Formats: sequence, C-alpha cells, structure tokens
Amino acid sequence: MEDSTGVSTEPRPDPTRDAPAVAPVALLALGVGVPSLRLAARDVGAVWGAGGGKHAVALCDADEDTLTLAWAAAVDALRAAALRPEAVDGLWWGTSRPPFAEGPSHAFLATALGLPDDVGGALAAGSPHAGLEALFAAWDALAAGHCATALVVASDALVPGLGTAGEATTGAGAVAWLLGAGSAPANGSGPPARLVARSRGHMAVVDRYRGDGQVATGDVYDGRLFREEVFLPLVSRVGAQLATAPATPVGGWSVGDVDGKLAGAAARALGAALVSSAVTDQLGDTGAAASLLGALPALGEAGTVGIAGYGGGRASALLVEVARPVPGAAGGLAKLSGGRTVGYTEAAKARGQLVAMADPIPMGVPPASAAFVRGAVEMLSLEGARCTTCGTIATPPSIHPHCPGCGGVGRDIVHLARRGRVETFVVNQTMPPPFQAPLPLMVIDLEDGARVMLQGSPADAEDLRIGDAVTLHLRRYAVERHIPVYGYKALRAVDAGGDAGAGTGVGAGTGVGAGTSAAVTEGSTR
Amino acid sequence: MSWNKVAVVGAGLIKFGELFGQSYEQMAAGAFDAALGSVDKGMDKDAIDAVIVATQRGTLWGQEGIGGNTVPTAIGLAGVACTRVENACPSGSDAFRIGAMAVASGVHDVVLVIGVEKMRDKSTAEGLLARAASGHPVYNRGETAPVLFAPFATRHMHEFGTTPEMLASVAVKNHHNGCLDPYAHFQNEVTIEQVLASAPVCRPLRLLDCCPQTDGAAAMILTTPERAREFTDKPVFVAGFGVASDHPYLHEKSTFVGLPATTLASRRAFAMAGVGPGDMDMAEVHDCFTITEILDIEDLGFVEKGKGGPASLEGETALDGRIPVNPSGGLLAKGHPIGATGVAQLTECYWQLREEAEGRQVAIRRGFALQHNVGGRGSGVSVVNILTRDPA
Repeated sequence: MEDSTGVSTEPRPDPTRDAPAVAPVALLALGVGVPSLRLAARDVGAVWGAGGGKHAVALCDADEDTLTLAWAAAVDALRAAALRPEAVDGLWWGTSRPPFAEGPSHAFLATALGLPDDVGGALAAGSPHAGLEALFAAWDALAAGHCATALVVASDALVPGLGTAGEATTGAGAVAWLLGAGSAPANGSGPPARLVARSRGHMAVVDRYRGDGQVATGDVYDGRLFREEVFLPLVSRVGAQLATAPATPVGGWSVGDVDGKLAGAAARALGAALVSSAVTDQLGDTGAAASLLGALPALGEAGTVGIAGYGGGRASALLVEVARPVPGAAGGLAKLSGGRTVGYTEAAKARGQLVAMADPIPMGVPPASAAFVRGAVEMLSLEGARCTTCGTIATPPSIHPHCPGCGGVGRDIVHLARRGRVETFVVNQTMPPPFQAPLPLMVIDLEDGARVMLQGSPADAEDLRIGDAVTLHLRRYAVERHIPVYGYKALRAVDAGGDAGAGTGVGAGTGVGAGTSAAVTEGSTR
Repeated sequence: MSWNKVAVVGAGLIKFGELFGQSYEQMAAGAFDAALGSVDKGMDKDAIDAVIVATQRGTLWGQEGIGGNTVPTAIGLAGVACTRVENACPSGSDAFRIGAMAVASGVHDVVLVIGVEKMRDKSTAEGLLARAASGHPVYNRGETAPVLFAPFATRHMHEFGTTPEMLASVAVKNHHNGCLDPYAHFQNEVTIEQVLASAPVCRPLRLLDCCPQTDGAAAMILTTPERAREFTDKPVFVAGFGVASDHPYLHEKSTFVGLPATTLASRRAFAMAGVGPGDMDMAEVHDCFTITEILDIEDLGFVEKGKGGPASLEGETALDGRIPVNPSGGLLAKGHPIGATGVAQLTECYWQLREEAEGRQVAIRRGFALQHNVGGRGSGVSVVNILTRDPA
C-alpha cells in the first residue's frame, strides 16, 4: 500500500530478520601493508596529561599514505596468489580518505599495480565502512559473473586531531584480498577459503565527522552514547543476522574497533572470541582496513571467522569459511611487528601536523604541467623501453626515443623488475623543503638488466653499501601545491627472499646485463 | 703541429665573490674593461666586431629570457654582432671555442668572448638547489648539484681505495693556490683536518669538497695571428680544442670512475694540437668538487686511471709538481660563476703562458696549457681548449 506521495505505509520489515542467502565467492590470497612508524600511546598521554595505555599505534612516515599502504598490500596479495596483475579484472578500493578527495585515486592505484587498462571496480570512501563496502561490491560483481578475479583493498591512514582521544588509538594499515568467482566448497581441492554469508544495516547518525577543509576526523557524539545506542546495537544485529549455517561454528570475530574497547564488547555480544585484538594491539585502529585486517589470525587456520565493521552509520558483517591457511596470511602476520618507534614530535611531523612555517621551494616543473604528467605516469607504472634490436631496457621511455645501447628505434614498453642491487649511491644532506635529509639516492641495477636512479629511505642512509640488495616501493615523494606526488623508492631488502614485490615484477623484461648504455668512444658519431 | 689559427691578445676578469652590489651588466663591463685594458699595445674597442656571451643560468637571477643582448650596450658596443652561448658548465669554454672558430672562418676579425654569471641574486635554496633538479620531473627529484658527482666518489673509493684524505688534498691545494690569486673568491688556507671536519653535504662529499656559489665575469679578446701583432708582441695561440657529449643521466653511465666526455674531448683537442698530456706545463680543470679534479686528471691522461687520489695527496698537481693543476685556485677556491668559469680558466692559462701569474707562476717549459670543463646533466658535456705561446 502506498500513500499519495508513493511512500509505503506498510509496517517496516523486521530489522533483525535473517540475512538473505548469497552466492559464495572464493578468497584466494591476501596481502598486508603496514606503515613504517609506531607511536606509543603513553607518549601521547605524556603530552596531553593522560594515561594513554600500553599499546602502540602505527602511523605513516611523511612519504607514506593510504595509497602507498594499499599498493603494498595489493602487491603482497598478488605475490601470495602467484597471480600476474594482468589477470585481475576488477579493483575495489575502500578507504575513508582517498589520497585525492576528488581525483584519480583509483586510477593511480590501478596504474601503480600494473592492472589492465580496462580494469573494473570502484572506489568506496567516506567512512571506515568503506573497506566492507568495497568487499561487498566486488562480491556482487563476481557473483554476477561480470568479473573473474577481483582485487579488494582496504586501507586507511587517518590523521587524528591533536589532543583528541583518537590520537592514542588511530592507526594505519592496509589489507588486500584476492577473490575469485566459483562456489566450490572450501576443501582440499577448492579455494583456501570462501565468503559464505553477509548482512548489513544502517542508522542515520552523525558520529565521526570531518568537514571539507578539515584535516582531522572528530567525534561528534559522547562516547558512551555512541557505544550504547549506535555501535553495539548495530554491529550485534548484523552479526546475529548471519543465519546461513556455516560448515563449522564461528570460531571468532574480527571487529573494527574505534576506541580499543568496543570490539571486545561486540564479540561478547556475538558469543565468540575476538580474534582481531592481535592486530589492533600492534597497529591501532586501521579504519577502513580494520575488520578485514583483524581477521588475519583466523585466516591462517581452518575454521569459520565472522567479520563485522561499522562506519558512517552503516554496519556490515560476513562469514568466511577457511579450509586451509589462506596464502599470505602467515606473511601478513609477520609484517605486523616491527616498525620504527618515534616520539610525539616526529609523529606529528610525519602526519603533517607539525609544519615548518617557511614556505617550501616549489620545484621547477609543477604537477600541473604536461611534462610532469608525462613523467608521473611512466614513473607510477615503472615503465622501461626495451630495444627490439639489442634488448637494452632504457628508463624512463620518454627521454629515450632511441636506444642508448645500440641507437635502435624499435622498442617495447615493459614494466621494470622491482628488485636490484646498488651500483653506486650518495646520501644527500642538503636540500630545501619538502625534501628531508638524509636522503639516499642510488643507481640500481635491476634484476631485468635495467638501471634506474631512485631515492631511498633515511632509515637506510647510515650504513648503505655498494652491492646492497634493494626492492622498489611506491612512496609519496611530496605534496606539492596540494597535490600528492608519487614515485618509487629503493629500500634495502630485509633479506634476499624478502617480501617486497618481487615476483609481481609485472612483465619483467629479459635483461641483457646492467649498464648497457653504449660507452661513448672515439669512434662514436655523437 | 698545432692549429694556431687564432691568437689571444687580451684577457681580464673581475674579483670573484658574492657581488651583491654589482649588476650583471656591471660585472660584464668590469671584465671587459680589464680585458681591453690588458692589451699590450692598446685597442680601440670599436675594433671588436662580434661578442660571444657565455651565461648559463639566466634562471638564477630571474632573467630567463634576457639572452646575452644586454652586454653590448653595457660595454658601449651597441650594434655589434652578439650571440649568447649556453652549454652547461662548459659554457665559457665553448664560447671561447666558438669565438675562435668565428675568427678562423674569416667571418669576424676581432671577437670578444665574455662569460658572466650572477649566482647569488637568489637564495641558495631558491636558486641552485631547487633548480638543479633538471631532467626528468619525477625521477630526478632530490638531485642537487653534488648528487651528479658524489656517486663517482662513492664508486672511485670502492674500486681504487681512494680516501677522504685524498679528496681533501685537492681542496687543500686549490685553497692554497687561491690565496695567491687576487681574483679568487676564497683567500684562505684549509687543512685536510678542516675538510674532513666540515659539514656533510652529500655523502661522501663534505662542504669543503664543494665549490662555492660565486658571482663573476671574465673576458678575452681573440683575433687572427696576423692582426695580433697590432696589439701585442706576446700573443697566445689557440693550439686546439675538443668537445664531446655523454649520456646525461647517471643511471645511463657506462662507468662511475670516469667522465667519458672529458676523455673524448681531450683526445680531440690533443689531436688537433698535435701534442699529448705530457706536453702540458699546467692545466686549469673543472674541480666543482674534489672528486671531479681527481677524475679529470685521470681522464685527461695526466695520471693513470685510479691513481688520481694518491697523485693529489703526494703533490704531483701542486704548483711545483709534475703537472700543476688549477694554479688559479680552481672552482673550489676561485669560484664557479658558471658562464664565466671557462673564460676565467683560459685567462689564467693566458697569464701563465705569458709568465705573468706572479706568486702562483708555474714553470713554462714546453709552452702549452690546457683548460677543461665538464658538466651539464650528469657530466654530459665536456670542452677542452689548449693554448700555446709558441706558434710551432
């Protein structure tokens, strides 16, 4: 029945009814991205005269953000699945705050990952619920048969307000799931895990909020009000709605935790252990990544795990049946520990909240120029030009119309290898803002025979050596004229078999040895 | 048999330094007046029928589009043929080469080659640091000038055992020579200990491994050997020259222990002059950083590859050494006003060959002097000029 305006006057459906059955999809592999800094909650407390607690939160260094974390997680997931980027036909990315509030965030991530030009998917944003929204959207596309292999990335690197309660709990991190179509049961012959049930609900409330132009996200509601009237009722309801009987009982719940205490209360209401605390204790609240990232411990062993998350007035839950450890789960767990602990001042600088009043020197080529656009794209996709005559890989292509090895003009554009060794380097100590000393700059022989010169990390500056193994990581070089500038940095590999992107060497070329530029000689016609 | 188709009959420069009180045009006029005034038998400036201006970085003083054409008016020669040459750090030496070719071709009779550079009108950060990152707009971020040379020091140390002390010995020698050159920016001695204790700029290079940013100007007057006798009885002749390029980006380099452009340019110059490195009585070489001079003396053939460090430490390149290098104080002490640098180096060679270099005079035996610059993106261009006082 409808009234004259078309509004239904029927009683509203029971919000606690069982969630409808859905077509399962396969979880093939996962990857994790963690930022490089840690801040002890007690150091926050010391500044603002509060206790703070014993845990630490993860935060981005000045050259990291939600995009670089998302990239790292996705690269790990592709490697764990032994899948080439070309095989992915949809990218769904959920993050509260994309690097460009309005801009090419999804295109940047897809380009940096080497995904196909026609890759589908979408960007979900606006609240910590964005990660689950991205996941559900990918699930729908897979179930509809519009997509065969979906990459779902949930990441966040929120900036808490100085002196707010959130400062001691807000962390940063990313998780990527590779999903495949197909409903085969999760047994020895099928996928390692399946997404088997899901539910969702909403409540139009303004709890966490950040307006246009504001840097920090703030809490609008009283914490107790939020806990009792919003978070616990909604999360408990969507969790309880997952009526589809899993193959095994739910062994634990991963719940995104906005203040360090809510997740435990929600898990108790849902009647199973909280598995996500192992992640939260190490990284803090990772926002849009939190509920998916928190399931990491449960995805490393057979069983069923429930996942629930809240954000922006919406809550969602899902069940994952794990037949055997999901590839990438163990490596992801190992990545959580570590990170460089910094004090409050350095953390505020890294988050961009403590800024020198001196104007940074604008670079000669502004991000709005065509020269910059050309350069940015070939950097983001790490392109080389491989000579069809002699095989030399010249980098980057835009400045090498002719082969520097043989002078040939035929070439194929290839993606460069992501691992190499230091041929020579410097540590630059004297640069204007936005550069931060000490900045290593290295000439690197990549495994495919190409050579590049890239920035390194201050953390490697002290004892960098010729011959050191390095891997290439996407980092944010600077924010210039309000535009983030991305490129690769060479970071010293932790060990020879380290986990930084080898194997995803998208279309690595057949190298012909380092330093293949022709030496200029007396016979040269140049 | 040297080329010797062009003679130098006058040369002069202004005291290099932070010349905050002088305009670009005032510096140019100062150098021109000095060069014109140096002509032994005098010269009417209207005899000059072409001016080649070397200025590398108009960008440094906010005058990117100005070209070289303020110079003729500034020196009272409005109307004269005038062209600006930009070829990176060898701009001055290439302007000299082009001036010499203009005379030798018969197109011009008397050519003024003048190098002028304003390095200090903008702050260090705003000028050189931010603008040094030429080249690719994303890849080459963070590359200030020392980044283009320090990787060679890292590798030279790695392959040949070159030490920080050896690098420092270059700065010690050139600062000593600078104390004997009234035109030098710096007039103070430094010790190896002071160099090693100076602030790290771009590891492995420290502050005193680096040349300063300097304002300056230098000028030379070239003419035919026939007309030279109108102006002087002691002309110096252009024996030969060479130019060469190399891959401009560091990651394209075929070696990190040498600068191939230097080797190529010097071979061409030696062949044109009909001489070899052993015939040189002295050399003014491009020592923008200490490591650069070590690379230079190897690449030019004065010492064996890899032996540049020990040769410097042991005094082979001192004023009384086997091959005196940078008696003027070099870029490290005299300064490096880019467009003026090459012309000033050639002026030093001119004075040395005429035995007018006073306290820093080296022994002139064979009568040849070599001048060298290398620079541009990744040392991608080098120019070598050879002068002689004996028109063999």
